[in-house]
Amino acid sequence: MADTLTIHRAGMASVQDLGRFGRSRYGLPVNGALDQHSARVANVLCGNDEGAPLLEITALDFSCTPSTDVLVAVTGAPADLTVDGVVRPQWEPLSVRSGETIRISGIRHGIRVYLAVLGSVNAPSLQGSCAPDTILGFGRSLRDGDELGLQRHCPPVDHPEFRIPLFRLRAPAHHFPTLWTIDVTDGPDLTEFGDTADRLFRSEFTVSPQSNHIGLRMAGSSPGDVPRRVATGEVLSRGVPVGAVEVPAGDELLVLHRGRGVTAGYPVLAVVTATGLSALGQVGPGQSVRFRRRTVAEAVAAHRAQRGAVHALKNRVRTVFDVLRIPTSPARTVSPVPTPHHLPADRRTS
Amino acid sequence: MDGSEVTPDGGSVVIVDCGDSAVVAKAVGMDAERAWQVVHALADALDAIRLDGVHGIVPTYDSLLVEFDCTDTDHATVRRVLRHEADRLGTGPVRPSSTRRFVVPVVYGGEFGPDLPVVAEQLGVSEREVVELHCGADLTVRCLGAPAGAPMMDGPAFPRPVPRLASPRTHVLPGSVAVAGRQAVICPMPSPGGWPLLGRTPLRVLEDLDADPLTAYRPGDTFRFVPIAPEQWDDHAGRPLAATHG
Repeated sequence: MADTLTIHRAGMASVQDLGRFGRSRYGLPVNGALDQHSARVANVLCGNDEGAPLLEITALDFSCTPSTDVLVAVTGAPADLTVDGVVRPQWEPLSVRSGETIRISGIRHGIRVYLAVLGSVNAPSLQGSCAPDTILGFGRSLRDGDELGLQRHCPPVDHPEFRIPLFRLRAPAHHFPTLWTIDVTDGPDLTEFGDTADRLFRSEFTVSPQSNHIGLRMAGSSPGDVPRRVATGEVLSRGVPVGAVEVPAGDELLVLHRGRGVTAGYPVLAVVTATGLSALGQVGPGQSVRFRRRTVAEAVAAHRAQRGAVHALKNRVRTVFDVLRIPTSPARTVSPVPTPHHLPADRRTS
Repeated sequence: MDGSEVTPDGGSVVIVDCGDSAVVAKAVGMDAERAWQVVHALADALDAIRLDGVHGIVPTYDSLLVEFDCTDTDHATVRRVLRHEADRLGTGPVRPSSTRRFVVPVVYGGEFGPDLPVVAEQLGVSEREVVELHCGADLTVRCLGAPAGAPMMDGPAFPRPVPRLASPRTHVLPGSVAVAGRQAVICPMPSPGGWPLLGRTPLRVLEDLDADPLTAYRPGDTFRFVPIAPEQWDDHAGRPLAATHG
């Protein structure tokens, strides 16, 4: 009998990875974990490949129970994390025994929590990734009672009586401020906004409830806070990067995130940096952001520093796991799904 | 901005940064056909090179977006490769001439193309004329769009651009044939959409979402639409579009 992770309370959770790379020429958005940094760290803390399937838990309380002993790590937004009622730390590996319940509740200051399991979980794959694509209808939200197949088990690695964790890996955690600062670089169409471009940096913008993994809509406190396009004329459809800041309707900013369609016809005022996008993956409706202008060189340096910290963590994890003889044979990657059942049945009319 | 180099035919490829993880190459100063050929040839070259760190290549009409992980490569490297390839293209023909032509039956109007009347009115022509223009010429696929493999084509020879719908539909049926601006498309998947719908093909546009390559057609191929009666829907229903080239 294969081992499973039983989901008791699904809230809003799904199985994710870092995204569907290399398919944008076919019009497929990249998708994947919205806070890439927290997702990478969760996997690395379990000795997994950074891109292994893991759980992305959004805003609502969540609980699950493994049918075997496992090693897990929980990263992302601060939350109350317990294993069978005992408070446990985020951003460290945790031993969870067969039958114990992992509970994540009270997610705050950010909206996304990541739960990785050593050896990963089984997930169907489409074009090389398990990342849900809501427009294609691929991948679904988890439901109460779902059972996810587990690839491996891991004997307990903690004090047998007191359950004191053995790990102090000092993972590079995010900061979760009340007012987010999101770094951007100048967009390719900056000049089309004339003197109004600077408004992006003058006021705070509040994320509207009409925001999701495709894009975040943000309003200033008055319409005059929003930059305006001063140039006229049609823009031919062209590829726009994840992170593009646009002003489609004139009164709101639209910041494209990982689910964005690959082409668009609006001018790009600014582009959120790679580290800024991970931060933006934590900003929920009603929260405010302030944009900060960075050069491309500064943004690249920040991203490399963040990735370098994850790389250093990976080395520490490897050392510790070797000492503790925790087996981390490469996680099996996502399994292919039989086709073509994920193509919806042809419907003649709605 | 990168120094753009003038190619012998007077046009040039301009390469600009697009954030910390992308650059854009734009073909400027050349006719639309040549610009499209250049950006797609650059995309093919980049695909073939498999540059470390590059994970997204989006060629459209006159522009090519290249997305990469700036930990694994850098802007200078991507720019250098693009510049080198742009120089190599010179002025010769840059696309292989082997394109395919797909013949696509469409039921126009009614429940299949609910926006046909409004498009006719906006264009100041009859519904029949709209249909005749839409199926009166081969339409060239220029790029593939969202949500997956949507063939974005040059639009029919309408007298003027077609406005988008004031309020987009939340659900467009697969096979819907739509136009907007000076473009045309077939929607391969059920999805939201703001383009007016002229009709719908009973063909299966995408066979298998996990296929590699995803689509039977490529940029450069052409589509020819053929009107059919609603009664003929079932004769074609579910037939793969891939089988209609010739």
